[in-house]
Amino acid sequence: MGRKKKKQMKPWCWYCNRDFDDEKILIQHQKAKHFKCHICHKKLYTGPGLAIHCMQVHKETIDSVPNAIPGRTDIELEIYGMEGIPEKDMQERRRTLEQKSQESQKKKSNNQDDSDEDDDDDEAGPSAQQVVSVQPQTGYATPMAQPGMPPVAGAPAMPPGGYQGMPPMMPGVPHMMHGMPPAMHGMPPGMMPMGGMMPPMMPGMPGIPPGMPPHMAPRPGMPHMAPAPAAGAIPSRQAAPAAQPTVTKPLFPSAAQAQQSASGAPASNSHSTAASSDPPKATFPAYTQPSVSSSSSTSSSSNPSSSTVAKPPATVTSKPATLTTTSATSKLIHPDEDISLEEMKAQLPRYQRLIPRAGQAHAAAPSVAAVGSMMPPQQGMPPQQPGMRHPMHGQYGAPPQGMPGYMPGGMPPYGQGPPMVPPYQGGPPMGMRPPVMSPAGRY
Amino acid sequence: MSLFGTSAGFGTGGTGVFGSTTTDSHNPMKDVEVTSPPDDSISCLAFSPPTMPGNFLIGGSWANDVRCWEVQDNGQTVPKAQQMHTGPVLDACWSDDGSKVFTASCDKTAKMWDLNSNQAMQIAQHDGPIKAIHWIKAPNYSCVMTGSWDKTLKFWDTRSPNPMMSLPMPERCYCADVVYPMAVVATAERGLIVYQLENQPSEFRRIDSPLKHQHRCVAIFKDKQNKPTGFALGSIEGRVAIHYINPPNPAKDNFTFKCHRSNGTNTTTPQDIYAVNAISFHPVHGTLATVGSDGRFSFWDKDARTKLKTSEQLDQPITACCFNHNGNIFAYASSYDWSKGHEYYNPQKKNYIFLRSAAEELKPRNKK
Repeated sequence: MGRKKKKQMKPWCWYCNRDFDDEKILIQHQKAKHFKCHICHKKLYTGPGLAIHCMQVHKETIDSVPNAIPGRTDIELEIYGMEGIPEKDMQERRRTLEQKSQESQKKKSNNQDDSDEDDDDDEAGPSAQQVVSVQPQTGYATPMAQPGMPPVAGAPAMPPGGYQGMPPMMPGVPHMMHGMPPAMHGMPPGMMPMGGMMPPMMPGMPGIPPGMPPHMAPRPGMPHMAPAPAAGAIPSRQAAPAAQPTVTKPLFPSAAQAQQSASGAPASNSHSTAASSDPPKATFPAYTQPSVSSSSSTSSSSNPSSSTVAKPPATVTSKPATLTTTSATSKLIHPDEDISLEEMKAQLPRYQRLIPRAGQAHAAAPSVAAVGSMMPPQQGMPPQQPGMRHPMHGQYGAPPQGMPGYMPGGMPPYGQGPPMVPPYQGGPPMGMRPPVMSPAGRY
Repeated sequence: MSLFGTSAGFGTGGTGVFGSTTTDSHNPMKDVEVTSPPDDSISCLAFSPPTMPGNFLIGGSWANDVRCWEVQDNGQTVPKAQQMHTGPVLDACWSDDGSKVFTASCDKTAKMWDLNSNQAMQIAQHDGPIKAIHWIKAPNYSCVMTGSWDKTLKFWDTRSPNPMMSLPMPERCYCADVVYPMAVVATAERGLIVYQLENQPSEFRRIDSPLKHQHRCVAIFKDKQNKPTGFALGSIEGRVAIHYINPPNPAKDNFTFKCHRSNGTNTTTPQDIYAVNAISFHPVHGTLATVGSDGRFSFWDKDARTKLKTSEQLDQPITACCFNHNGNIFAYASSYDWSKGHEYYNPQKKNYIFLRSAAEELKPRNKK
């Protein structure tokens, strides 16, 4: 959906600055997050209503609206959906949104992740993933070349070629084009003005300027995906709630596969833009990349996901003071390396011993026995816990042929696959295994 | 069929086999304990298909074994057989007729276990551990699909040592699910690929991940006409995404929800976010269950977008779960999943598999 004037056509929550598709959802959100009694979870309709409820029913006073950003916690302001929002806040919002739309997706880093969906178990927020996210990294060469260009937003669209969304924003684009290669070399000096331009551009996005520099980084090999996402992102950005960057719709095949690979975008938590973040990270470590990548990336091995810092809230560029709906920090219970838990566990020596092909019965047998003990020597544990762990081989050895429950019909021929009829059925390995096992009767 | 018809076998906290067990936090839900559980972390659970009478449960573990139990109507579990690999077993599945079990292991092989003869033979070989294995039954072919950390997805006719087909993936396979004619594979680096299996398997679409963290588990769900229409994807960041393949309105139909986190209402202390280890859909109701590193399981209704139930917290993470073919039994495994690293690994800690009556608790919530 094309959105031009968000504040008028797109409802937003005064308490936490989130955008919504329609007012009904906004009201649901407010009831669930801001007007919900923390004692009995009853959902009220307004802030004062909540205050009165707590006082009358629980004899408790509350002085601020739950989950509200600082400055918007007034419990006495009667706001319902979009009604009751003070005019000056409306105007401020209008201004902010205008600036945001001018700058396009570069700024979207701020509102991420946790705010994207309603957290409560009973409600699911709009999926923030739908909207195309712009690749912030693209087009930074242009800003360099145009120190005087007010619309930073145009930068993403700069790359040679597609300016679909750009022309309105960057009248000087064609000139920029030619100047780009030289401009690129001059990037560092050029970045200063850009850096200076950023802040005035985005009063509403304090988090953005730190995010800009990485994108500014010179890009000798400007990924050609730049134009596509940039162009495509800008109009689609309008469609998304301003705070919720989402999936990029790749217009180029290269973008498509790039999207698969990376995770955290440098300057934003946007998942989809992660793709373009990879090249920049590798080539431009000098800039703020480290701070960005360390916080936001979860995929690249050089940026291990932090287990102690919340990924979204911790990123430098995300989460300006306005956003967090939950507490500021959260902890991901996961080891630091960005590989799966199974891969981590499989690296342990005790699980590596048996990698030789199962076909080697002899080789396998002793190792099976070793496995059977289950406790690697380094752990210093007795091979089995007598009485606790039964290898159950006794039981299994008994009825190898007697599986009354299984329907024998329709068994296809085994074929002549690799001769893998292992001794694992029960006899031999069992013999090796349980020297310390005393199967206690039936169990 | 009612599984736990009488109250005798059910709800006694699994005391039967192991003597008296106290109601400590290893089984706070007082569910039935499966007898003779594996000796190391349980990686996968699967119930037999409806083509077989009775309920048989297989569980693969890091002790390199796959065990099979018969689950009787009164809740009693009887160990039936087991097979070994030379490396930890990461996944297992049944053939459609219930006569074979396919097992995938870190030893880079997959085996076909014929239950009638209790013989297992190797049917697949990869260059890396095989993380996912599924049986595909198509009108014109049948095969085993294996997804491995060697970044390939291979399809095997069990009679030949060479794969029928091998499809490259952008990254290591982390999880997969198959409901003919659709297959979904989630890989490292948040890759997500949907395959269509008609005529022969082929890549259908690569999807931009709806989640921002490492993918961990995926499960396909079906629509009212029993056709696969989307999937649920879980990540390590306590979040599940419900994603439809061709929704009428993606922005409204697709959504994500948070789960397996601590500190629900208390915002003063940092919230602990746990990985979602497995997702299973109830075969009849279409509601889903998620299990996480926090040691809880939760039931959800994705159409009403509500949570149906969350369990008490077990003292270990829950690593696997599954429903039986008619949805009467919910099985979940309690064992360490490495979510807190090596330091918290206690090899002496017992691993459990619990069975719970699932017919009532997973009924969909009436939409408001």
